[in-house]
Amino acid sequence: MSKLLAAWLLAASLAAAQDPRQIMQEVQRRQQSQSQHYEGTLEVIGHGSRIATKRWVFDRIGAFGNSKGMLRFTVPAEVKGVGLLIVNHPDRASDQWLWRPNIGREQRIALQDRSTRFFGTDFSFEDLEERDVAQFDYKLLGDEKETWKLQSTPRKSSQYTYGYLWVKKDNYTVVKVESYNKKGLVRAIDYRDFELAKGIWTARTIEVTDVSRNSRTTLKYDKLEYNVPMKDDDFTLDALRRGP
Amino acid sequence: MRLLRLISWPYARKHLLRWLLTTAGIVLGVGVFVGMHTANQSVSAAFRETIDKVAGTTQLQVTAGEPGFGEEVLEKVQSLPDVRAASPVIEATVSTGKGNLLILGVDMLGDRSLRTYDLDGTDEAIDDPLVFLAQADSLIVTKTFAEKNGLKINSRMPMRTMQGDRVFTVRGIMKPGGLASAFGGDLAIMDIYAAQMFFGRGRKFDRIDLALRDDVTLAQGTAKLRALLGPGYEVDPPSSRGEQFEQTARIYSLASNITSVFALFIGMFIIYNTFAIAVTQRRSEIGILRALGATRSQVRTLFLVESLIAGTFGSALGVLFGIGMAQAMAGYIGGILTDVYGVAQRADGLDLNPVLLGGALAMGIVTSLFAAVIPARAAASVDPVKALQKGRNQALGEGESRMRRWAALACAAASAVALIFSRNTVIFYAGFVLSGITAVLLAPSLTLWLSRALRPVLAGIRPVEGTLAADSLIQGPRRTSGTVAALMLSLALVIALGGLARSSYNSLSDWMRIALNPDLFVTTAQNLTARNFVFPASLGVGLRAIPGVAEVQLVRSVRVTVKGGPVMLVALDVASVERRAKLPPVEGDQADMYRRTERGEAVLASENFVRLHGGRLGEILEIPAPGGTLRLPIAGVVRDFSDQQGSLLISRDAYMRAWHDDTVNVFRLYLTRGAREAEVRQRILDAFGKQQRLFVLTNKDVRDYVTRLTDQWFGLTYVQIAVAVLVAILGIVNALTVSITDRRRELGVLQAVGGLRQQIRHTVWMEAAAIGFIGLALGLLLGAVELYYAIEISRRDLVGIDIGYSYPVATALALAPVILGAAFLAALGPAESAVRGSLVEALEYE
Repeated sequence: MSKLLAAWLLAASLAAAQDPRQIMQEVQRRQQSQSQHYEGTLEVIGHGSRIATKRWVFDRIGAFGNSKGMLRFTVPAEVKGVGLLIVNHPDRASDQWLWRPNIGREQRIALQDRSTRFFGTDFSFEDLEERDVAQFDYKLLGDEKETWKLQSTPRKSSQYTYGYLWVKKDNYTVVKVESYNKKGLVRAIDYRDFELAKGIWTARTIEVTDVSRNSRTTLKYDKLEYNVPMKDDDFTLDALRRGP
Repeated sequence: MRLLRLISWPYARKHLLRWLLTTAGIVLGVGVFVGMHTANQSVSAAFRETIDKVAGTTQLQVTAGEPGFGEEVLEKVQSLPDVRAASPVIEATVSTGKGNLLILGVDMLGDRSLRTYDLDGTDEAIDDPLVFLAQADSLIVTKTFAEKNGLKINSRMPMRTMQGDRVFTVRGIMKPGGLASAFGGDLAIMDIYAAQMFFGRGRKFDRIDLALRDDVTLAQGTAKLRALLGPGYEVDPPSSRGEQFEQTARIYSLASNITSVFALFIGMFIIYNTFAIAVTQRRSEIGILRALGATRSQVRTLFLVESLIAGTFGSALGVLFGIGMAQAMAGYIGGILTDVYGVAQRADGLDLNPVLLGGALAMGIVTSLFAAVIPARAAASVDPVKALQKGRNQALGEGESRMRRWAALACAAASAVALIFSRNTVIFYAGFVLSGITAVLLAPSLTLWLSRALRPVLAGIRPVEGTLAADSLIQGPRRTSGTVAALMLSLALVIALGGLARSSYNSLSDWMRIALNPDLFVTTAQNLTARNFVFPASLGVGLRAIPGVAEVQLVRSVRVTVKGGPVMLVALDVASVERRAKLPPVEGDQADMYRRTERGEAVLASENFVRLHGGRLGEILEIPAPGGTLRLPIAGVVRDFSDQQGSLLISRDAYMRAWHDDTVNVFRLYLTRGAREAEVRQRILDAFGKQQRLFVLTNKDVRDYVTRLTDQWFGLTYVQIAVAVLVAILGIVNALTVSITDRRRELGVLQAVGGLRQQIRHTVWMEAAAIGFIGLALGLLLGAVELYYAIEISRRDLVGIDIGYSYPVATALALAPVILGAAFLAALGPAESAVRGSLVEALEYE
């Protein structure tokens, strides 16, 4: 009872305070896990409603700002084995390396290339990073019935100048993000089909819209697991070269 | 205008053929000038266009000479906050089964910040960098190339790579325009890391293309990058590559200028000759005009306007002819530059420069006017009374001859003095021009003298016809000497160019005997000069292990910038070269120079490097390299034909240290005694041929290749020779046509008194042969002098190598039947015209 009261009091105090940073810290806290594993299905819906499908397996170790992620494509056959290692840092942009089994070498993704599309999808390389809330400034723009609307401004280098986030008040999940640069809206990300997995509300479908290209990419999570045992050694350049 | 209509037009109509022949000289001169320069400019413009299109929005390029630089440099450049985007590039021209293809190896992730890849079709998979990157065999080709070769998405295209024969897949087709129209559309995009693998480049890039942040100026960006990277790297805008190309094409520009000027000079003589004859023929007409009150100025203007019209007509035709010729020349020059220098360019369209065309037109008109000045002045000074008295108009006054001889002597003396002070370029070229003027001034006297000398010979062959032919020459030196001068100049040009070619071949042959003495050469291309692919050094170990191989020399040739110009740096095992293929020094101590170079303490400079780039023995050269600037003295100067821009021989160890590059272009193999070339060659192919792109050339193959390349280079010379011979033949035809017309009455009288048609034919033929012989004799003599100048010009300003003087006896001997035959052929028409014309009309002539 005392626990329930404490949680209610905390939630009530956060809701009442409406401090944007506290809101985001709570979002991050609730998403916290030691590791994550999922199999993702990407569908890129381009011009003429043509759909291109790709699948990957993703593993993450660590949490926001201190995490490492390993992504490997499994489908289609011609991209199978291509891997991406992401090493997130608490105070700066992540390091990313691409592994290309066909030529047997890794390639560092330059910081200035992070704004480019992630292999034909509507994500950019930067969108794959997990940045700590401390790397942004927040401003509360609106307190709607079910959500808060916040503005986030990156403190470190980013392709975006600012973004809008909509956070659900009941479970502190981000349901929509709009990212802007100097010219205007670049991407919109919608988070849908939330499910509770090991106590973490997780969107099973993410839809990204590239405004300039007028194309959409949906990412669906399958076989989602949190806090599965993983080793640091599986998130190194050697591991990237080694393959699954 | 009235005079022009009443006097000039009827005369021109009556002598239409002669006018056409007269303008032919101007047509050729202007045509060669326009053709050569338009071709050069078109190739240059195409190269610049290719650079522009390939560069996209690139503002600066980082390079370190041909060897390229390590991948770490990219991160260094990208770390500079002033750089907005930086993308590595590998550029190579590859010969495929579908023609030459410019392959651009790029990093598709970052490159789109600099270049736009406008892909065809709606298939998103084409636009999927993941598939493109995941599959190393991916190529994006242009729509132009695809349509030309029937390629579609997923079409397969074989290419010989350093990994052996590989089949590539077309995974994208670029729409025409922009990048896709570079290199005439024969362009393909490959992933840069795949390109490294297929071209054997290791982990190196050719260059980095970059764009700066909006608030950074080009100067600021350049300065910061130079400071960041150090002296071994060049940071320049893409346009600077065009300047390097023009430096490469400089030789062609100079050669075409010389040919054009020569052709115009010869054309000028033809015009002068025609006008001089016209003035003589129309003396009575001029006399009547003067008697009727025409002023001297009006007569002079009349002839100058005639010349202006002929010049304008000839120049306009020449411009058209030149444009036609430029199309063929552009492909030819482009081919040579691609083969020899690996410079990717192609001129599909002509770059017509109005200033050049206007200049050529003006040049032709001025030449024509200049040629007519003396005849016009002579026409204006005609005494009306004397003019109406017929006969003996062609004779030269003794005073005039004496004056010319004195002028010739003065020019000859000045030319000789110029030789003494020939270190100065202006004085040297002035001496060259003066030597030509001397010959031209002496031509009338020498023609007269030789005609007299020939008289008994001709009379000995055929008493009547021979005497008549010789007398015609003796009595009409003004008519003959212009033709002889034109013929002499043309043949001198032939001898000079032929001699230059012969001397070059001799010198080249000596060099090949010493320097190209290995039994086998293992190369990455059949074309020895191609440096797009490189071998790993480890292949040398494998080659040494092949039975029958006694010694393997590893050679890496790269073009670097030294003393502000592109120079070929040849890195090799100096001790082995000294032992096996010791080039004798032109300057320096043989033992010392090889020893110091082997230790990496010095370099050997080629003779042409020293001449063209102003180097000297002992001079310390600064050679920028990624490992820091090398400061090495020139320990010796050797005669080396490796590169037209000059070469520097450096020890392989020193090169590897400074450029961090251990790759190899060519392995030179010496076989053990008794080993058979063909067997060893086959063993090498069996052992390595399937794993990688590899060619094994025999010594004969290489020598043949070098000779073929030299032939290609002299191809331009042969065009010049052809032009010279053509002008010479035109000159003879012109002179004989004039001669027959001029002597119609004389020939008519001969027929009237019982002369046989055959006798008249023989007379004309013998006269033609005599003109040909005199022109030939004087041309061969003047050629001996001009050859000296040609070799000097070549040494000073073209190839920089002293190729030695070697008179082209074979060419001279070949010229004799050609010119005498041409003279005979040229005489056929006029001879028939002489015997078939109306006797009454002929007797009424004059």
